[in-house]
Amino acid sequence: MDKTVYLGMSGGVDSSVSALLLKEQGYKVVGVYMKNWSKDLPGAHCPWAEDLADAKRVAVKLNIDFFVMDFEKEYKEQVVDYMLAEFKAGRTPNPDVVCNELIKFKLFYERAREAGADFIATGHYAKSENGHLYRAKDENKDQTYFLYRMSEEALSRTLFPLAELLKPEVKEIAAKNGFLNAYKKESMGVCFVGEVGMKEFLREYIDARPGEIVEKETGEVLGAHDGAIFYTLGQRHGLYVGGGLPYYVVNKDLEKNIVYVSKNLNHEGLWTKEVRLSNLLAREEIPENVEVRMRHRAELISAKFENSCLYFKEPIRRPAAGQSAVLYDGKLCLGGGIIE
Amino acid sequence: MEAKRTPAINLDFAAATPVCQSALSAMMPYFSEKYYNPSAPYWPAKEVRDEYEAAKARLAQSIGAKAADLVVCSGATEANNLAFTLVPEGTRVLILSTEHDAVRAPAGQCDFEEIKVDKNGVILLEDFRAKLSDRVSLVSISLANNEIGTIQPMAEIAEIIREERLKRAKIGNNLPIFLHSDASQALTLIDVSVARLGVDMMTLNSAKIYGPKGVGALFATPEAMKKLKPVVRGGGQENNLRSGTENVPLLIGFATAAVEAKEHLFSARKKYAELTTLLAQKLAENRIAPQFLGNNKTRLVNFLPISYPGLDAERLIYKLEENGVLISTGAACAARKGEKSRTLTAIGLSDKEIAGSLRISLGATNTKEEILRAAELINAAVNEEHERIYG
Repeated sequence: MDKTVYLGMSGGVDSSVSALLLKEQGYKVVGVYMKNWSKDLPGAHCPWAEDLADAKRVAVKLNIDFFVMDFEKEYKEQVVDYMLAEFKAGRTPNPDVVCNELIKFKLFYERAREAGADFIATGHYAKSENGHLYRAKDENKDQTYFLYRMSEEALSRTLFPLAELLKPEVKEIAAKNGFLNAYKKESMGVCFVGEVGMKEFLREYIDARPGEIVEKETGEVLGAHDGAIFYTLGQRHGLYVGGGLPYYVVNKDLEKNIVYVSKNLNHEGLWTKEVRLSNLLAREEIPENVEVRMRHRAELISAKFENSCLYFKEPIRRPAAGQSAVLYDGKLCLGGGIIE
Repeated sequence: MEAKRTPAINLDFAAATPVCQSALSAMMPYFSEKYYNPSAPYWPAKEVRDEYEAAKARLAQSIGAKAADLVVCSGATEANNLAFTLVPEGTRVLILSTEHDAVRAPAGQCDFEEIKVDKNGVILLEDFRAKLSDRVSLVSISLANNEIGTIQPMAEIAEIIREERLKRAKIGNNLPIFLHSDASQALTLIDVSVARLGVDMMTLNSAKIYGPKGVGALFATPEAMKKLKPVVRGGGQENNLRSGTENVPLLIGFATAAVEAKEHLFSARKKYAELTTLLAQKLAENRIAPQFLGNNKTRLVNFLPISYPGLDAERLIYKLEENGVLISTGAACAARKGEKSRTLTAIGLSDKEIAGSLRISLGATNTKEEILRAAELINAAVNEEHERIYG
């Protein structure tokens, strides 16, 4: 009998093409739309119903089963609340990492298995082989940065049909097969937050107070911010203190609600030679010499890894606390942790 | 760039109609050479004013009314909202349980109660009588339902209201009561003479009768008109109830479409009766036959509401769209929001029957060939879906 795959379908081009590829490979494909969020925000319409319709349309076109799994409650509790708590604590969390760990590759995986799935699949750009996680062929689109926390058990039963494809090839397949979503924008965690901006999203949930923007070196008040939690270390834009060289956020004092900035790009607050990780998740035995990525699509940097700490030869721009550092040995994803 | 699509067979004219040729031609000059503001003082503007008023009179005449009885506005939703402005505070409104959001939402601003319908969607007059208390100031009942096409016995409803008026006069209750009807879906298919229907207010919608979108009107008797309050304030146009420079081209198109619809009422009815009968027959012959909803004696003749219990109508719609047939479930706006059909719930259908229901509504451009082809494609899609689920 054909193996059954439960495929997460978002209505986007990647998961749509994944459905087609899996079907061509002879799997019995069941499309699932994960309903994680449906609330509109001021100035931003949440397009879940449109996305769902797009996903279903593709499922019908391929004549595969399709249904909705409602994870709104869990997504709010496990992803959004975590994200809000992190921001309140002054860090810059990555909700997609958590969503993949706890929703897509845990809840969805479990529900799919209960329903009789042999495998699950998603339209992520990543590669799963013999229980190991590898970067996708398309280095530009690789999403292992968001996937490094997915459980080993789920990985061993996960198919990534786009592992060996480049994005332009995926779009071409979509266009050739008349998928009307071929030209649609890609979806992300709280997918429409991109449209409104994280700030507007946070404003709905966190009571932020305005405060002062202070120049680190001089103590001079340069302007006002609308909530220290909205600012990330190293941030250059959106400070509205204008004039001359740009200012960078070098520090923030949440208690006093002050954001410290500096014109000095060499300011010590902006650079570091070591990064400490918490919540370390090792997928593999981690060697001493690793390559690390500290933002999605950021360049890989060589580092020494010892006792949950990354050491760099040269100072690097200090990454924002709460983001993930993901470790690699070649294409192999070793795991990673949350930057402290 | 989008994938190319072949011209579709549209079976969803209850959602939208194309602008008819005569309306399109009539409108054109008013976008360009006759663009003047009807309120301007010079002669060319005065001409435009006269032509606007004449068109408004033709539109009014098509429902047996006078131009002064109409408030031209942006469409049915606005007309409905305007109708509800005459409800005095502390009074009650009655609507049908199957009403569209464009009635239900303005009703929601008042104290309102729903009147029940029977399994065909027809008002239960005894329930209406029971709910018609001495505090009711407005009864709003669509002439024809937008999902299954049920036509309401408006004259009988009006008669009950007339009795209520007499009763109130006798006991010295001076709260006026008005009957409003949204006739958006009905204008091309039934005679909507306001006197015959006995309504005090009626909503007209250009977009559903082969006129342009973005224009509609509220008919109101002088008694009702006096009590309406402006929804848009400004220069005092439309009897001071709907300010803003008159949209001359749209009204001209609307009036032309209304007159044409009235002229073709009988031939249209005959055509739709033939086509819906043919379609019903072809669908009934299929291995998996639909359940026919409602009663064809009490509905608009271009409607054919059906259900395939156990199948997912949305999947059928996508499958048919792929093959060039456009069909809908329920109201387009509710379908978009993923809401369950209120009408189908109100007529007592099970969740399974609702999930499998399709709204078929024919229109002026449908031909016998199209209907035969559409029937084939619907049957094929149904069989394929049935196969997928039940083997």
